[in-house]
Amino acid sequence: MDAYFYIILGVGLLSTLICVAAGIMKKAPNDITILSVAAVELALLVYLVGSIVRVIAGEHIAGEAWEFWGYLATALLLPVAAVYWSILERTRWSNFVLAAVGVTALVMAARMNQIWY
Amino acid sequence: MADTSEHTGKRPADTRNTGPGRLLIAVYAIFAISATARAGYQILTKFSEAPLAYLLSAFAAVVYVVATVSLAKAGRTWFKVSLVAVLVELVGVIVVGALSLFDPVQFPHETVWSAFGRGYAFVPFILPILGLIWLYRRRPAAPAA
Repeated sequence: MDAYFYIILGVGLLSTLICVAAGIMKKAPNDITILSVAAVELALLVYLVGSIVRVIAGEHIAGEAWEFWGYLATALLLPVAAVYWSILERTRWSNFVLAAVGVTALVMAARMNQIWY
Repeated sequence: MADTSEHTGKRPADTRNTGPGRLLIAVYAIFAISATARAGYQILTKFSEAPLAYLLSAFAAVVYVVATVSLAKAGRTWFKVSLVAVLVELVGVIVVGALSLFDPVQFPHETVWSAFGRGYAFVPFILPILGLIWLYRRRPAAPAA
């Protein structure tokens, strides 16, 4: 596991905790929960840029390259989809939808790490 | 009983995509995407290693896609589709889960439903149960017979 994974682990878990807490407190999605998901997206973008730089620098992906990029592309879409979905219905349940992003991103980051090394 | 309530407009309750249903659909969507991607990958790259397991993966993926779409749709027909999809999922996760434990020779390779979804934190096992509870709570009213 590399630094990218640990960044997403930290940001993802934090985002999930914030969103679950907001959901339990019966709040609709607000700036805090949406920004926490945006932070997950940012962390994934850092992973994307970092990975592109590493490949250009000549590093080799141990596993299937297209599987790695597939995971990363899908992970990048998740926060966007979840935020869109949560804006359509502003209830506490949308915060639980947002909460799913963080854990999913961290599971996917773990898998991406396995593929890379 | 000849009451007129069935003519007083649409029943807004015949939808399953609000409130907790949104979370359910979101989790189903995640599983639909990951199961489809995984099954596609398994079948394209190493199908001959375990055809049965990978066909099951593909079947599971289809079930998740159908469940996701049908839960998001309103109306009685989509309710039935959801019910069938969720029941198939529940039976699938129990049967495949049990087979993968008792007959690891036939099921040596991981599928979403292997060992009751252990590889996915047992979410595949919990999901259809929550799905059934949700469908029951949002079941369409009995047709006026």
